[in-house]
Amino acid sequence: MTTTPRLAPEPTHGTARRRAPWVRSLVALLHHKVAVAGLVVLAVLVVCALFGEQLAPYPANAVDISRALQPPSTAHPFGTDDLGRDVMSRVILAASVSLQVSVVSVTIALVVGVLLGLVAGYFGGWPDTVVMRVADVMFAFPVMLLAIAIVAVLGPGLTTAMIAIGVVYVPIFARVTRASVLSVREEPYVRAAVSLGAHPGRVIVRHVLPNVSAPIIVQTSLSLAFAILSEAALSFLGLGVQPPAPSWGRMLFDAKAFLDQAWWMGVFPGLAVFVTVLALNLVGDALRDVLDVRKTVND
Amino acid sequence: MTTRTTRRAGLAVVATVATAALFAACSPGEGVDVDGSGEGGSGDAGGILVAAIAGEPDQLDPQSTSSYFSFQVLENVFDTLVAPDENLVMQPALAESWEISDDQLTWTFTLRDDVTWHDGTAFDADDVVYSYRRIMDEELASSWRFAAVEDVSATDERTVVITVTNPSPNLLASIGGYKGVAIVQQENVESGEITTQPVGTGPFELSAYSSGERIELVAHEEHWGGAPHLDGVTFQFIPEPTTALAALAAGEIDWTDSVPPQQVGSLMEDSSIDIAQVGSNDYWYLATNQANPPFDDVRVRQAIAYAIDRDAITEATMYGNATVNQTAIPVSSAWYTEYDTYSLDTARASDLLDEAGVDDLTIDLMVTADYPETVTAAQVIESQLAEVGIAVEIRSLDFGTWLDEQGQGNWDMLMLGWLGNIDPDDFYYGQHHTDGPNNYQGYSNPEVDDLLDAGRTETDEQARQEIYAEAATQIADDASYIYLYNPAVVQTWSPDVVGYVARGDRAIRFADVSLDR
Repeated sequence: MTTTPRLAPEPTHGTARRRAPWVRSLVALLHHKVAVAGLVVLAVLVVCALFGEQLAPYPANAVDISRALQPPSTAHPFGTDDLGRDVMSRVILAASVSLQVSVVSVTIALVVGVLLGLVAGYFGGWPDTVVMRVADVMFAFPVMLLAIAIVAVLGPGLTTAMIAIGVVYVPIFARVTRASVLSVREEPYVRAAVSLGAHPGRVIVRHVLPNVSAPIIVQTSLSLAFAILSEAALSFLGLGVQPPAPSWGRMLFDAKAFLDQAWWMGVFPGLAVFVTVLALNLVGDALRDVLDVRKTVND
Repeated sequence: MTTRTTRRAGLAVVATVATAALFAACSPGEGVDVDGSGEGGSGDAGGILVAAIAGEPDQLDPQSTSSYFSFQVLENVFDTLVAPDENLVMQPALAESWEISDDQLTWTFTLRDDVTWHDGTAFDADDVVYSYRRIMDEELASSWRFAAVEDVSATDERTVVITVTNPSPNLLASIGGYKGVAIVQQENVESGEITTQPVGTGPFELSAYSSGERIELVAHEEHWGGAPHLDGVTFQFIPEPTTALAALAAGEIDWTDSVPPQQVGSLMEDSSIDIAQVGSNDYWYLATNQANPPFDDVRVRQAIAYAIDRDAITEATMYGNATVNQTAIPVSSAWYTEYDTYSLDTARASDLLDEAGVDDLTIDLMVTADYPETVTAAQVIESQLAEVGIAVEIRSLDFGTWLDEQGQGNWDMLMLGWLGNIDPDDFYYGQHHTDGPNNYQGYSNPEVDDLLDAGRTETDEQARQEIYAEAATQIADDASYIYLYNPAVVQTWSPDVVGYVARGDRAIRFADVSLDR
């Protein structure tokens, strides 16, 4: 009982200096107008992803040829596609697919990439050489090409798309992490821990990781945006989500054949991709500002 | 059955050339002096016609390729002994006449004496013997067409004798149905040059080939059917239909078959181009894997046949550029059989599923994005089968993988088409005979086997017609295939192109075409 008040942050009159770093960052982020706009968009997206079934006015796959290619109207605000399906419902329901793919694939990339980056950066020597040369080889391939190759081996589908996108972003995380670790490991507090005999695992988790997290967080938000684009691209090529499940990329592909007859088939899923990627980029940029150590010091 | 449909797969494209003069007079509505040699009409103006095709040939050996892109080009480069006219009736080509022995087992073909190869050497009966032996001995793509052939021999320079093991009313279709059975030159084959520099006897010869861009043909002036009116034909590879149509509008190309079905309506109203829509012999179908329960139960297959709405599928995939059909052979063919047992009837479908004791059925439906109509149709079928409680999981594969999966039996249901068939034997034997090479669905009905065997040897046309009507009806009743529709052939060209006829077998022939500009 008595200890509780001591651990809790001072609620109201505490200055920024005394708050936990993440709270400080969050407050700074919320003062960033552009970032707030991005966060609002992302919140809407998450709601669509979670409650799409309830929000969508029609089922995603309600085919009705007699209603095909209807322009936007009150009954169908985004119009209908070539099979008479409601475009708005499909755009809403595709949000969960896009978010799912991007979150899972970036998580894969994050976990594997950061782990490899930490090991390579902290230990140097042959682990560093091996990890970074493999990363260099992967960097040599254009990202989409590598993802397509992976899908070709594993067969198209939602799971494969997640794995493929995750794998191709691993080297980026590994490299970003390693670069930060290289500077952090020379810091006095790390050397002190080492000279006190701390186990390397403990040093990495307690002292290195927290101090390299800022660039990783920024990279994560930007990667989410790229992952959404990659998923759309893979689905556009028929290598991602399989029909009839809705996906923005797939919808764009289907719209391609009808561009001069039914602009709404392509414009709305295209806008969805655009807005989502923009929002993630805005948040990423803001995070970069907020988490920038040099900037914080100047403040 | 002919070649598998595919953009790359072969179609039975038909003979070129020659027959030109034969049917020129009856080309509907064209009213052009296609045989204009005599009075030096507009047809002799020459010029190079530029045709856009949707892809590049895999190779130029007509007997080995199965790519439709190859056949589009080679139709104009090679000849067959006989060739189908516009109504798909076989007419003389390299053979000017033929006789059949009384026992129906010996066919004697008399060859034309004015045929020369593109390299200037003379054509004779040994070339025919070599070509047919090659197909049979090397078991090339169309070797199944020669299944009944016992021997091919040349008795003199202008006479070829084909002996068959049993009466073969479809022999002419087998040796002339498409350019996969073209006559090739031994030297050209043995040097290996045929795959890139083919030497044929057709109205045009290959002059240049830039990989990834175009193939250029020039007129073969010594052609036995008379020199072509055009100086040459250039085939450009333009995969994107929108690009091809824009090029046509801009006058960069003169002809294309890259016409998305959804645009046919608006193109029909466009007076700046000519467009033709011709009923084809192609058909699209669903098949279920009868090796896997519950599809071994005919009631389950029939339930699916009752549960799908062919009109909606056809509208969604072809925008009206197709004719709904519940059997394979189109209404335009002499071999058409009237059949309309299945109409959309979900109650009936549910009853049949109940009778078969099936509920909670989930079907894996295998389609391929290489034929986008299958992906579109699959989504319609998914929603239709949901109405009767059948869940459909669509699996869209590239065509190579698709074919592997089909061969290995890793599928419940699939959709595809067959293109370019002419004889009823082509439509049914390979797919529905117990021993048929393309009976991937594992259908076996002894009655149908007997009928299909009998159809192969029945020489009386009327009796043969009845045999195939019965077989077709039984196959559809058993839902070995669930037939969907016969698509139309749609091609479009500039009004400058005179004398071109769009054909139901998709053979692209420019021998009688001229340019007026």
